[in-house]
Amino acid sequence: MKQKAPKKKRTKAQKREMIWALCFIAPTIIGLIVLNFYPAIDTLWQSFCKTGDFGKGNTFIGFANYAKVFASGEVWHSLWNTIKYALIEVPFGVIISLILAVFLNKKLKGTSFFRTIFFLPMVCAPAAVAMVWKWLYNQQFGLLNNIFGTNVAWISDPNLAWVSIGVIGVWSIIGYNMVLFISGLQEIPGDYYEAAEIDGATGIKQFFHITVPLLSPTTFFIVQTRIIGALTIFDLMFMVMDKTNLALENTQSIVYLFYDYAFTQGNKGYGATIVVFLVIFIMIVTFILQRAEKKLVYHP
Amino acid sequence: MVASVLAACGGSNSGSGTSSGSGSDSGSGSKASTITVNIWDSNQQKGIQEIADKWTETSGVKVSVEVVDWDNYWTLLEAGASGGQMPDVFWMHSNTAQMYMENDILLDLTDYIAKDSTVDMSKFYEGVKNLYTRSDGKVFALPKDHDTIALLYNKAIFDKYGVDYPTDAWTWEDMYEAAKKITEGSNGDVYGMAMNTSNNQDGWYNLIYSYGGNVVSEDHKTTAIGSDEAKAGMEMMRKLLTVGAPQSVVAETGTDSLFQSGKVGMITQGSWMINAFYTAENHADYAWALLPYADVNGNGTCEKEERWSAYNGLGWAASAATKDPASCYSLISYFCSEEGQKLQAEKGVTMGGMTGVSEAFANAFPGMDISAFLKAEDYSLYFRPYTRNTTVWEDALQQKGAFLDPWQDPSDPALMATACDNAQKIIENAIANE
Repeated sequence: MKQKAPKKKRTKAQKREMIWALCFIAPTIIGLIVLNFYPAIDTLWQSFCKTGDFGKGNTFIGFANYAKVFASGEVWHSLWNTIKYALIEVPFGVIISLILAVFLNKKLKGTSFFRTIFFLPMVCAPAAVAMVWKWLYNQQFGLLNNIFGTNVAWISDPNLAWVSIGVIGVWSIIGYNMVLFISGLQEIPGDYYEAAEIDGATGIKQFFHITVPLLSPTTFFIVQTRIIGALTIFDLMFMVMDKTNLALENTQSIVYLFYDYAFTQGNKGYGATIVVFLVIFIMIVTFILQRAEKKLVYHP
Repeated sequence: MVASVLAACGGSNSGSGTSSGSGSDSGSGSKASTITVNIWDSNQQKGIQEIADKWTETSGVKVSVEVVDWDNYWTLLEAGASGGQMPDVFWMHSNTAQMYMENDILLDLTDYIAKDSTVDMSKFYEGVKNLYTRSDGKVFALPKDHDTIALLYNKAIFDKYGVDYPTDAWTWEDMYEAAKKITEGSNGDVYGMAMNTSNNQDGWYNLIYSYGGNVVSEDHKTTAIGSDEAKAGMEMMRKLLTVGAPQSVVAETGTDSLFQSGKVGMITQGSWMINAFYTAENHADYAWALLPYADVNGNGTCEKEERWSAYNGLGWAASAATKDPASCYSLISYFCSEEGQKLQAEKGVTMGGMTGVSEAFANAFPGMDISAFLKAEDYSLYFRPYTRNTTVWEDALQQKGAFLDPWQDPSDPALMATACDNAQKIIENAIANE
């Protein structure tokens, strides 16, 4: 048991130090309060309101918006669309970038060239990326259909569009994941591999018995942040899918739905409720992941 | 954003009370050196800036015209109205005008107009004027323009498949026959026509009215989109879709792009889009005709009430929070004076919001006959359907559960009839929730 330390009186110098410390962190704190905390609390408040035009005349209506959200097939469908997107983006984004990272971590010629190439999508504006892919996918004039001589409605077929969108997501994220993996790989001491080689372990065995377990903290970090990132996806659907696209219903993410209600239809209260619903869902997912961390991550 | 701080610099240029008129002595704000104007149509930016520059010659106040695309325009304007920065002068649209007027976001122009001899309210188009007049009689925007709808066709495609060009005597059935010949003649490589569910004002709304239905009643309180007349119109629409471009194609590429790339023979379009086609690569092949009519009484000729075109008009409005309301009104007044309106037509920006100023518009596009848009006014016009919160039902009509279903599968007449019934409910519910 720890003994409670007796309350010490602060000296004058300590007090002055504290004031200065507060001054130094004030810009960040004020920024956080104005830009993050206040809007978050206001959103929570709005989710309990029937909001008026232009932020005026909000009336409190209790849980009515929440009842509507839970009863709405549209919200659940969008949540499922978002999960489907995450199911593509997270596993493929992680596996592909891990393999690339292992190759690019070797001492070969041109690794920095390839690292740059794979990282490039991260540098492009997501909206620009989405526009380019939209035209690659175009059924009439798209490059994909032209090269393969097919006539596939990549983004208009309700059964296919979610995969097409997911592919864009994977393509955009592998560079970023890869950089994280490479830095994780460089933390692994080379002795392990040397010892394994002396014992006659093959490259694949080394990968599964040394690289994968020792890299698991990095992997876990990437998986967790990417799950949250994927659940809040918006720009891809917004840029690629036209409002009259047949497949929109099967691809629109929950943030897209929020945008539609809050900003296109001007129903801020209902939009806020959808977002709070998403936040709660993400909190649950994160909680489960944190619990699983001890079992999934290898601690030597 | 045009801070009054800058006013000190522009103080010497106080050339007010000249030809552009307006009561620049009324109002409380100080004189700004620049007025920001927001619009959403890049096709009009050049012309609007030129007219505004003429106003600058007499007022000494600079005007900066900025284009924000349609979707973001409303998001930004609403954010500005909710406590941020609004542009000084901007366009209003029938979708949202009522909401903005009721919340006193817009500058009340009533008193300015009363003192202004250059603006004659009786000359404006009735529907446009009424739209921007609140129920208590106050005016919040002056009519900028009006637009009508016509049929656009590609002569090269008609020649290639040996189909006669559209005429002013065409019914919607004739359009169907022509589209069918093109689609079948090309084995589906080229489509006779294309229309998306989002082509409402410039598309299928006009069929509903031609056949005697309506989308929103004249008092904006109810709808007849589920009536037998409207269903007859939409049944015709369905027939057209069976020989048109499939929905998956129009949603990905857009009807305008399809037309301009020679994949589609006919589309319907509004007069605000003329410039885009006039400046297109193959514009020599493009020609305009009157919208087809519906021969409801079967006598083989077009009665006035058998051919309908939607018309809509934008309004010039100013922000109630502007630093310099007098200059803002003065600019609006110039845009909407006979001089400004005639300039707008001459430069081919749009037709006027005022009657009798648009003849010059027909001559603004040498080599392209756009008289169909003016001729449409000899028949019936209906004002673009709107209610207090139009976007809610307008978007819903374009999507699943409404007209996207029959658009996806036009072969089944029952789907279209169901969609009309659903649309009736969607609009009724939306109005009830306003």
